[in-house]
Amino acid sequence: MAFERFTSDARAAVVGAREQAHTLGHHTVESEHLLLALASRPEFDALGLHHDELANALAQEEERSLAAVGLAVGELELAVAARAPRKLQFATSAKLALQRALAIALARGDRRLDAGHVLLGVLAAQHGRVPRVLRIAGIDAEELRTQL
Amino acid sequence: MFAAPPTIPDDPADALAAVGALRRLSDRVEDAAVERAVLDGWSWVEVAEALGVTRQAVHKKHARRLHAAGISKGAR
Repeated sequence: MAFERFTSDARAAVVGAREQAHTLGHHTVESEHLLLALASRPEFDALGLHHDELANALAQEEERSLAAVGLAVGELELAVAARAPRKLQFATSAKLALQRALAIALARGDRRLDAGHVLLGVLAAQHGRVPRVLRIAGIDAEELRTQL
Repeated sequence: MFAAPPTIPDDPADALAAVGALRRLSDRVEDAAVERAVLDGWSWVEVAEALGVTRQAVHKKHARRLHAAGISKGAR
């Protein structure tokens, strides 16, 4: 990935995604963590992308997906003192989002890849957790993309 | 007479999302269970055998975080 083309905002989103994954106790960095990191930015909050709302939707998505196979573990309390080490790997969904962001920036003729491009890359996903979480949060990804 | 047995969701998106949720749940349960075992004095060899994986696999996955938290004292 051409990280030298990333603006400091885009880099902050990448670093923030890793923090989000770590906080949630996840073992990999996924596109939903990029979404949460981006939703912490005021300019995207102004577009209706609120971090806490999305974090809540993410938890709901998990609960519904487990319930769909007969598991009700929403309240399962797993006390873990030792979280995963800080250096979590970026998994396929996050890599795809960044690849799409880069493709979008190139297609627009933009020289740098900024946080808006990263968000567009995240929102472009048709499958996986991001579209499911956005649906639960009542956010229209298509409409949001037109504002970026 | 009997309720239909549970099955996977009809919508492939829901069924595949369930797989992801189960993997994350499995990771969380494993983290908590390995931490508990190590706190109880289990060796990496014992934890590995109980999980059905190699000692190297369990060490690679958990040693660093448990060591960082002061729970494990390195390789045993």
